Order: sequence, then C-alpha cells, then structure tokens
Amino acid sequence: MRTAATFLGESDRERVHDASLRILAETGLRFHGELALPLLADAGAQVDAEAGTARIPRALVEAALATAPRTFTLGARNPIHDYPLPSPVTRYAIDGTAAFTIDFDTGERRYGTRRDSTEALRVLQEADMAVMAWPPVSASDAPAGSRVLHEFTGMIRATSKHGQHELHTRAQVPYLVEALSIAGGGADAVRRRHPWSVVYCPVAPLVHDGPMLDAYLDLGILDLPVMIMPMPVAGTTGPAGLFANTALANAEALSAIVVFQLARPGRPLIYSSATGSMDFRSGAYLGGTPEVGIMSAALATMGRFYGLPATAGGCTSDAPAPGPEAVIEKLITMLPQALAGADIVIGFGEIQGDQALVLEQILVDNELAHFVERLIEGIGEPAAPDVATEVAGVGPGGHFLANPATRRAARSREFLTPTLIGRHGYEAWRELGSPSMYGRARERVQEILAGPVVDPLPEAIEAELDRLLATADAELA
Amino acid sequence: MTQELFDAMRQSVIDGDDEEAIELAKEALADGIDPLEAIDGGYVPGIRHVGDAFRTGELFLPDMMAAARAMQRAIAILEPEMLARASKRQVVGRAVIGTAKGDIHEIGKNLVGMMLTADGFEVFDLGVDVSPERFVEKVREVDADVVGVSALLTTTMVGQRAVIEALKAAGLRDGVKVLVGGAPVNRAWADEIGADGFGEDAVDAVAVTRTLLGV
Repeated sequence: MRTAATFLGESDRERVHDASLRILAETGLRFHGELALPLLADAGAQVDAEAGTARIPRALVEAALATAPRTFTLGARNPIHDYPLPSPVTRYAIDGTAAFTIDFDTGERRYGTRRDSTEALRVLQEADMAVMAWPPVSASDAPAGSRVLHEFTGMIRATSKHGQHELHTRAQVPYLVEALSIAGGGADAVRRRHPWSVVYCPVAPLVHDGPMLDAYLDLGILDLPVMIMPMPVAGTTGPAGLFANTALANAEALSAIVVFQLARPGRPLIYSSATGSMDFRSGAYLGGTPEVGIMSAALATMGRFYGLPATAGGCTSDAPAPGPEAVIEKLITMLPQALAGADIVIGFGEIQGDQALVLEQILVDNELAHFVERLIEGIGEPAAPDVATEVAGVGPGGHFLANPATRRAARSREFLTPTLIGRHGYEAWRELGSPSMYGRARERVQEILAGPVVDPLPEAIEAELDRLLATADAELA
Repeated sequence: MTQELFDAMRQSVIDGDDEEAIELAKEALADGIDPLEAIDGGYVPGIRHVGDAFRTGELFLPDMMAAARAMQRAIAILEPEMLARASKRQVVGRAVIGTAKGDIHEIGKNLVGMMLTADGFEVFDLGVDVSPERFVEKVREVDADVVGVSALLTTTMVGQRAVIEALKAAGLRDGVKVLVGGAPVNRAWADEIGADGFGEDAVDAVAVTRTLLGV
C-alpha cells in the first residue's frame, strides 16, 4: 500500500469549495480578452461588460465540472512515454519559461536561449521520473513575435515525452496548429493522442489574461488539453493564509474550468497550481517553502475532490545557486504533493524562484524524486514468506548476508540504490577526488549531450517545421 | 489640542489604521487646520517612524504597506483643501510608474509605488499594459523625476526599452531617471536598454531611486 498523507481533510475540502464558490459568485473575475465574457454572459453569468468582469454562479461551476473529462491520456510522441491520467503514482515535469540559465560551462547566469532549452529537454528525456516536458527557459535569441513557436517546436524536436507550453496571442494559433499537425501526424492524430498540451496561468488575484486565454480557446480545435495553474502568492497577490490562499487559487482554477468547458464541453483539463509565499521583508516571491508544499498538496487534493487529473507545482527552490539549500527546498516542496497523490509535480531543473535553469539540477531532482517515490512505496509485503523461519535459519549471533532473500533484496526496488549520491567511505571518497552529487550529475549531463538525440524527428518533418518557423518569423514580426 | 490631533495622526499611520487616519484628516479640515501642517506635523512623522522601524527589522513590509496606505488615504482627504489654498506639498520627488505594454502583472509595480509613497515621493501609477506614449504624456504632465517600468515576462520586457526610446524621441530623456524591474530583469538588461537603474525588489527600488536622484 502506498504511503499517503492528508493535507486537507474532507470537511476542509468542502470549506475550500464553498469559499471558492462565494468568491466566484460575489466578487467575480476580470477578463481581458474578447471571447470569455460573451461565453459567460450567454451561459447566465452576471457580466459587467464595461468593467470587463463576470460573476460566476454555482450552477455554471457544477455544469463545467460535469463535462470536464475524468480520465484521459497525456500522449507522447513516442507512445512508450504515454501517461494515463489519473495516475496511481506521482511523476514529474520540468519547470518552464525561466528567464535565465546558469551557463553549463562558465557557471555565470545569463538569459536563456533555444539551445539551453534543447539541451535541458534532452537531459529530461533521460530522467526516468519525468513524464512531461515544458520549455524550461524563454528563448531570448528567438524573435519576440514567434518566440513561443520556436520554444514549442524546439521541445518537440528535443524530447519524445509529452510536452506542454504556452501561446501568447491568437495570431500565433494557426502556426502552432500547423506545427503540431506536422509533428503529430495530422490534426486528427493530435486530437486523438494529446501528445502536447498548453499551460494556462490566471493572473492573481482574479484576473484572466486576454490574448493568451483567447488563443487557448481557439486551440480548442485541436482539443489540446489545458493545464490550469493559478499562482496566487500568499500575502501579495493572494490572502496571507494557507487556507485562504488555497481557496483563492481554487476559485481561479474553477473560473478557468468554466470558461474552457463552456467553449468546448469535454475538452481535457488538468487541475494544477503554483502558489507562493512572500518574503515579509522584501515582498519577494518565494517558492521553496514548506507552506508552498502544503498549499500545493491541498490544491492537488482539491483536484482529486473534483475528480479531475490533479497536478501541482513544486520541487521549487529560491536558492541563488545549486546546492544544499536547493535540495532542502525542493524536497520539502515535492514530498507533500506526492504524499497527497498528485499525478505530476512540476518543477524539475530550476532554482531562483523558477527563474534559472540548471542542467545538473534536472538529474538531482530526478534523484530526489526516486527517494520520494521509495518513501511512498512504503514497507510493502514481507520479502520472505515466513519471517520466523528465515530468522530461525540464522539464529542468535549469525548473519543474513548470504541468505537468498538478501541476495534478492540487493536487486529489488525494496532497497533504493541511488545513482548520484555516493556511498563511499570517507577515505575512498577522498581518493576519488571528493565527488559530489552535483558533480556526478554534471558528468551524466555531459554524457547525455555527447550522445545522439533520442527519438529524433524525421528529417522531412524537421525541414517542414523550419519552413513554418521562417514564415512565422516573417509574418509575426 | 492641535498637537494631540497630530499625535493621533502619527499613531494612525504607525498602526496602519486608514479609517482612523481618514477621520483625523476630516477633523483637521473641520478645525480649519492647514492641510500641509497636518501632513507634515501628523502623518509624515508617523511614516518616518515606520520607515525607520522597517529598516532596523522591527517591522515587516506589510506594516510599511499599511502605513503608506493610511497616509495616502488621509492625504486624499486633504488634497481638495490644499488645492483650494493653492498650496503644494513638499515631496522628495515625483515618480511615474506602470507595467510595460502587454503586461498585466502589477504586484511588483504596486509594491514599488507604495514603498516610494512611504518614502515621501509623489507617485503617479498608470496601472497595467501601459503604452510608451502614455508614459511620455504623464512624465511631461507632472514633470516627473523618475519613471519606473515593470515587466514580469521576457516577452514584455522589451516594452521597457520602448519607453526609454519614446522618452528620447519626446526630448524628455535627459530630465528623468528611468528605473526598470521585474522577475526577468537584471542589471545587464538595464544597461543594455539604457535605463539608469534596476531594482531587484521593492526595497531596493526605493534605495536605487534615492541614489539616482541624490536625495
């Protein structure tokens, strides 16, 4: 039996739900776009066109929750990586769209590029606990108007796992539809297999971006799943209480669910969140805190409460550099979500409050994920059918070293063998040059990048994508 | 009697009690007290106390925000009378702030605005998704000393450059300092686009602004 923890009890789930419904019905939300308000007005929401706001009644929320699919599969370009939702286990995704990269060669922080994203996603391809990609940095070397298309297609080329990204305007939609159709074997195959999805973040508190939401509604023609990721920060863009901030995030998620389901009932949606706490001295966002772990776990529980695929931001760190602070913060912001049974925790590979990619960190986080998974797998069934008989066979003062059960255990999942954490004695460790977990990760990154791209796209498809991007560069400039 | 009122005003700011601060402002008007005297004798000592306690770590940022809000709301009550008397409050400087075109994330900008207000600046907040032209217009209108342009997204930070270019085109660039900030913004970007300063957070933004203006 898997180990679980409750971060939001049954009655508290009802309380969060009720508080969220009151927020939606009494305060409502502001919508900047063109498409959402007419949809909401037609469906019976109280819309103030001049203020751009809508109050959403309970009935609309209930109707939306009734049409949102309970199960579907996050497809992958290579079907071996398909990930059915909901999942009996927790798996992971890389963090997305940081501004910066810690340069692998110089160690200096600089703006991210297309190459950084490609390299990171090639590393992610080898991270066995990761099931979902996301361009981890914004590609500062790509033209602004078509940048997200470069990032999206770069991800498709670099990994055959499920990939999510974003779009910023409706003008970008036709290019993405064409790119996904080219890479996914036609629009029908993309609709059927869901190999790619988009991530949508309402702007806390209670605001919906215009061009992005409109673009995502247009993308309904490909039935692209939408991961809905509200991001209120307790104390700044959200109320300074874990319960209250959780309720606000949940309200924002529900509002997005309503809009997407009104536009296209049955469109696959993924409940998610990426809450934060604030530094009470500077007002800065903090992601690597125990409170974020708790809120994320509570929100994953709300996703389950609604019967939806439930994921959560996490594995976050505010540390300025890779190292022990990053590891502590990441562990404390992934363990709660995994214990709460989240389908995916999103956050591999980044530090500095989701703003800096570190290639080695992807593999360090993968190692952390293995530790978390081992913990959750729990004590399991007894390895020997009769414990007393096995103990009697050794007797007082003997040892178990050569027992068949011990030999089996050495090869089993019952005892985790880490890949990056060394278990040398002190002298041996010194003689080896004092290797570190990050050092081993670095070596592995070098090996991966020196090897071939796994599951490369056919050359003809690469060429078609290049042609499409050139057109987008010119037409979206 | 007046000193008692001023003491109460000071305390209302320290407590971050905006309702009390407003009531006291109304009381001052009813008593015929010069609004400038009420601000300088009552509310300003309160915000100074809070600022000092914040700098020594005794108070937190939310305490500072509440104090600034209380003072802002009290001053709003006093403003019509100040206008009637044609009196103008002494301020440290005038700041025009907003988020870059296309960006609707405003929390960072709001924090900077409140902190500048608390520090004695007059702040003109243009809100979100602000065009370069609107920045230029406001800078000209209020004779601003500093412009703050915030951007949360890598795709909208280019709007910070656009504001600087627009100020240049309008012949206003030499008369105003430009400060940029936001999660994807760093010092190198500020240098590249020709900004005068970069604030890593709201507290830093105020310190940089003061340094730039030499106040």
